[in-house]
Amino acid sequence: MSRYIAQAALRGANLIVREAEEMVEAAIAELGPDHPVAFINTAYYLPVILGFTGLEVTNLGDLRKAMAHAKRLLNSPPSQQLWLPYLGETLDAGAATLLATETIEGVRFARGEQPEPIPGLKLTGTSFTSPDSNGGQAEGGFANGPIDDIQLRAWGIQLVDGRMPGFAAIVGAARSNEAAVAIVRELQKRNILVFLSGNVNGRSIIHQLQEEGVEMGYDTYIVPFGTDTISAIYALGFATRSALTFGGMSGGQIREILLYNKYRVFAFVLALGEVDDLKYAMAAGAINYGFPVIADTVIPQILPTGVTSYEHVISMPFDDIPGETDAEKARRLVQRCTEVRGVKIKITEVPIPVPYGSAFEGERVRKADMRVEFGGSKAHAFEYLFMAPLDEVEDGKIELIGPDFSEVPEGGAMNLGILIKVAGRKMQEDFEPVLERQTHYFVNGASGIQHVGQRDITWIRFSKAAVDKGFRINHIGDILYARLHADFGAIVDKVQVTLITDQQLFEEWLTKARQAYQARNVRLADMVDEAAEEFYSCTLCQSFAPNHVCAISPERLGLCGAYNWLDCKASYQINPTGPNQPIPKGICLDPVLGVWQGVNEFVYQNSHQVVERVSLYSMMQDPMTSCGCFECIAVVIPEANGIMVVSREDPSMTPAGMTFSTLAGVAGGGQQTPGMMGIGKYYLLSKKFLYADGGFKRIVWMSSFLKESMAEELKAVCEREGIPDLLDRIADERTATTVEELLPFLEEHEHPALTMDPIF
Amino acid sequence: MSAAVPDVKEIWNGRIVEVTLGAGPDQGGTRRTTVTVGGQNTLPFLHFEGQMPHKPVVAVEVRDQAPDDWSELLVQAWGDVLSDPAAWAARAEELGAEVIALSLDSAHPERGDTGAKEARSTVRRVLEATGIPLIVYGPGQPDKDNEVLVAAAEEAAGERIALGNCEEKNYRTIVAAALANDQLVIAKTPIDVNLAKQLNVLIGDMRLSRDHIIMDPTTGALGYGLEYTYSVMERVRLAALSGDAALQQPMIVTAGYEAWRAKETRTGEGVPAEWGDWRTRSLLWEANTAVTLLETGADIVVLRHPDVIPLVKQAIEGLMQDSPVA
Repeated sequence: MSRYIAQAALRGANLIVREAEEMVEAAIAELGPDHPVAFINTAYYLPVILGFTGLEVTNLGDLRKAMAHAKRLLNSPPSQQLWLPYLGETLDAGAATLLATETIEGVRFARGEQPEPIPGLKLTGTSFTSPDSNGGQAEGGFANGPIDDIQLRAWGIQLVDGRMPGFAAIVGAARSNEAAVAIVRELQKRNILVFLSGNVNGRSIIHQLQEEGVEMGYDTYIVPFGTDTISAIYALGFATRSALTFGGMSGGQIREILLYNKYRVFAFVLALGEVDDLKYAMAAGAINYGFPVIADTVIPQILPTGVTSYEHVISMPFDDIPGETDAEKARRLVQRCTEVRGVKIKITEVPIPVPYGSAFEGERVRKADMRVEFGGSKAHAFEYLFMAPLDEVEDGKIELIGPDFSEVPEGGAMNLGILIKVAGRKMQEDFEPVLERQTHYFVNGASGIQHVGQRDITWIRFSKAAVDKGFRINHIGDILYARLHADFGAIVDKVQVTLITDQQLFEEWLTKARQAYQARNVRLADMVDEAAEEFYSCTLCQSFAPNHVCAISPERLGLCGAYNWLDCKASYQINPTGPNQPIPKGICLDPVLGVWQGVNEFVYQNSHQVVERVSLYSMMQDPMTSCGCFECIAVVIPEANGIMVVSREDPSMTPAGMTFSTLAGVAGGGQQTPGMMGIGKYYLLSKKFLYADGGFKRIVWMSSFLKESMAEELKAVCEREGIPDLLDRIADERTATTVEELLPFLEEHEHPALTMDPIF
Repeated sequence: MSAAVPDVKEIWNGRIVEVTLGAGPDQGGTRRTTVTVGGQNTLPFLHFEGQMPHKPVVAVEVRDQAPDDWSELLVQAWGDVLSDPAAWAARAEELGAEVIALSLDSAHPERGDTGAKEARSTVRRVLEATGIPLIVYGPGQPDKDNEVLVAAAEEAAGERIALGNCEEKNYRTIVAAALANDQLVIAKTPIDVNLAKQLNVLIGDMRLSRDHIIMDPTTGALGYGLEYTYSVMERVRLAALSGDAALQQPMIVTAGYEAWRAKETRTGEGVPAEWGDWRTRSLLWEANTAVTLLETGADIVVLRHPDVIPLVKQAIEGLMQDSPVA
């Protein structure tokens, strides 16, 4: 907290409260205490006063009560909280300022001095919802004054449903007319409502826009409140009424109203030009609502978070903003405003020249139809997504470095590196691989484009038809930008995509990407259940297995194979009410079986009081339930003192006397069936794989599909288990389809399960 | 005869939220009657076990333009009123409807593409023609739903109407309109307990109070998945009674819509003779669908055929009798 700001705000507040008080007394002396006071076309009296105090102001006498309240706020004792010594008083001074400024506007309305006359100003659309506005004169010549209730509802619905991200209260004047226009246009582009007020040495942004012929009014989402700072109170009146209308609050519930605004109304104050004491005091008032202040001049900043979601006061001197033109600077300024407030950008369409949708995901591009390919046997391609600090990512920048494919002969190949740089307040390094893997689905959604593989085995084909329609390498960036914002907006605020065909740069980044892949592998290997604070649930399958709950830990992924612990963690960030909820582990009741109190409680609640106890590392005692989506089924073969693992791809008979589909019928449905359990195939590689039952060495039979498709990984597991040729000692459908065939095979190969402790 | 008959009564700790549709002049509306549903703390009609303070009610579907794909049986039964929603609604009220379920079908881009203005006028006319509470459905196309339901919510301010359907992809605007105008919403999810729960939570997060939410769990007709939807509804209700607050909303089902999609009701010719009389079969198909769903917890059933209204109302009356336990 800046002492400078605190002092300025307190000075400003004291002055304006005194001024308001004098105005009220003068008006009462002249017009009498019963003289009516009302803002036009609203049922919320003077909304800020109503919100803060519950007072329904209808006449000048009532304003005295509001002022008494404001004065009490100025006299509040120093805060006990030493770590933020000025914050309490400053916020209270801000609140007093709001009450005082609204009181002043109330007096002005009583005297017929509002809305403010602005010669030559004509508002668009105002007459439709507020016939009484424009001072009742269709010819214009007046600022808008407060927003009427009808418009509040219309905009409020858009603010609440998210079509309109928020509003910007601009106070002051931009350094040039061009800058003023550029800033407003940037806000309009983002669907952000613009409120205008204030001036710098008599010049207001309203004048600037007026001179540049920018249409203002309800229709253009640009509302000029007035040319003094005091009129900025209408923005906070709008915010207060939003909470009263859409939050179901009533006057006086100020804490709820302020919190409502903090979490739901994405507004911010943009202070253009010099910031005087009154502006500081108003800004302190806005911070009460959780609205941060961004100034385009050099002022002290208030960075610690608390009252607002992120920073409180940010200084971004316009001259120091990088950019060739005012438009470019304005874009960065507005971008920063939206970041500081946490406004999310919504993108609904993927801007590419070919049709786009999940229907195209499975499409193949045959060699004969292909214009060019990246990766495959003749070239290399990689995709690498990584996070960077917010100020190092330029949102929406999509750049191709190196030649396009125009020089590549038809059907030829070239190298391509896809670098995706993301930033976000909620982004975590752990989400990098989760997001990176989405590239496959995102790129495949384009008609005529095929994407296979991931990391440095990426392989992308462009069809001739897609290229004929204008599809180019850059469009991969457009797709990723749009989809990452649309699908992962909850964790990603900025996305920048660089596509590299330049040979030297390609090699350079490929090396870096490979280092990152390696680091991720290590990180994954390091993620153990003991180290995690929370596991995650998955209840996606309850639609058909009503009592099934997957408990997903770092070392045991979901039985469908589609959700591992990191996926769940990201999914929870994106959709906090969705099927993946954190499960606090609680006390470990049995480290061998993998039993935690928290898991038991969660599963009991969410299985509708059916499953009381779950062991994460055993299929014999309280095994996890199976929905039906499992990649494999593990089944005990009592005669062999071991288990078999059958994969979904394997149609053959098994030593248990049942095929996969018959077994699935027995194992599924959300029941606990000791001796039989659905698993994800990557669980086979985990150190915790049936740890309590003897682990990987218990496997006496495994579908050959698994042996072959995961040969490398399984080999590593066998080595870890100390029996490098273990895989060869495990039977499969080619060597045994009955117990009678299985036992001699195991004996011949000296399978370790035969000499292990009895599995029962 | 005091031989050991086990006491099968369950003590539930949950209760369904009471939701009132419609507002009379004393609450700022113009309805002559209002309807309250919910409030039960037991499975449907188990009067020996708990209370069921409000009986389920019958809503009748009215469209803002004459349907072109309805069975001949329905067209004949309603006659001329089909082309005038106000007259249709008034007729439905005469025939015993307790709620009007008005569908703004003409707003669909492919079925007329009418807008907010037409929606306002239709809602106004139906409200003036009837004295019972109103449900307004959009055409089921997100953008148009937003457009016409916001208009309907504003036009009917004070009337405490229900706006439907609020779905996961598209609930925000409708909930906002309900918040701004003190209306109810119908939260519809596709036959899934968790999705139903999630949508209720999301709507609650927007601060619409629980007595403003009715849920539509999505159902099927007799012979077309009725059993499955029956058990999903049953699970919703069991969870609600067990104390899951996010599922304690009254349920609405569109039994008429479902029943009249079935081959058995649509087709009168070229079907086996043992299917019997087309009309009788169709009426029973709709009535059976409705009554079955009542037995698994429906609080509002939306019907189509005028002659099914008394059948279902009679069944409700019977089911609401306090059956003595031996």
